[in-house]
Amino acid sequence: MLGEFEYLLITAAAGLGDDAYGAAIREEIEATAGRKCSIGALYTTIDRLETKGLLRTWMGDATPQRGGRAKRMVRVTPKGVLAAKAFYDAVTRVSRGASWVADRTGGAS
Amino acid sequence: MTSTGWFFVEAAARLLARDEREAVLGDLVERNENVWQGLLGVLGLAFRQGAVPWKSWRPWLAGFGVALPSSFLLMGFSLSVSWSYLTIRCPELLQKSSLTLGSGSLVLLCQALLLIGWSWTGGFVVGSLSRRTLWASTLLCCSPCLFCLSRFRLESLSRFCLLLFLVPAIWGVHQGLRISTMKVSWAITVAITITALMLPDWSSGAHHWWAPPRWTLNWALCWPAWYLVATARRAGSKAGLRGGGLWSGQREQQTGMS
Repeated sequence: MLGEFEYLLITAAAGLGDDAYGAAIREEIEATAGRKCSIGALYTTIDRLETKGLLRTWMGDATPQRGGRAKRMVRVTPKGVLAAKAFYDAVTRVSRGASWVADRTGGAS
Repeated sequence: MTSTGWFFVEAAARLLARDEREAVLGDLVERNENVWQGLLGVLGLAFRQGAVPWKSWRPWLAGFGVALPSSFLLMGFSLSVSWSYLTIRCPELLQKSSLTLGSGSLVLLCQALLLIGWSWTGGFVVGSLSRRTLWASTLLCCSPCLFCLSRFRLESLSRFCLLLFLVPAIWGVHQGLRISTMKVSWAITVAITITALMLPDWSSGAHHWWAPPRWTLNWALCWPAWYLVATARRAGSKAGLRGGGLWSGQREQQTGMS
């Protein structure tokens, strides 16, 4: 089972598709989850997920806006997609009947 | 980011692997982060990466279970071997010890083999268990050595006699880093040989009421040899029938497995 941050990272990387790399994933997580994401947390989690076979990374091209430094590109593997789906399903199942979910449903109707 | 500040961030980034450094510094430039954020981010990443291996029990066992206690015990045994050598070289000492030249030489040979066996197997276990934390195991081995070297007072022996164990130990570490596990038959041979060489000491009791019998200390040095047998058997059963050769871990090494 994935951890919460691992799920955020995989989801952000999957959403960015071919443009998924360190800085872009950080921005995506900070923008959507509304939480700070340190470089340390990001890259150690990428390393861990790559070791588990849930991500694949490779060095991309260098660009001028990065001072001529290469990006570490990230792609979610099929195994990573399955793990993220399992996490999402578990959260959805466990959230059924929770007060905040019921409140939201009640508010909408 | 100023050029002076950037210098510090780049210096800190040298703690990272080359590709990771490239990606992290590029990210910092792209996001236009300030020096403080960049420095904290890079140091935080280096710290997290350094802490990752310590989540496992292996570096703890290598450092505090083998390197630290074994260096103390092996220094004592190195001294014992040096003293045996001195005894057979000096007729007066040989006469006092009630040994003949032949029996004294045999004792010296057994002790030397035991020292090599204990040091090599201990080094092998440290090397194979703590690849990424070898610096810590080295520190834990060197601290008692430096402490004892500074307090060594014996005119008849050089203080470097304490460090005889280091040569086979370093050789063992080197082998342990290169390969993951020994072939089962070789591991068993080494362990049985070391245990057999320890047999003469089993009957000897404690010299003082407060001191443990010598054979208990010998077992503290012997367990890495039997640990190698256990790991070799486990690796052998996992891999099934594997090709011949002295080291069963060579194939793993060749395929990049750490």
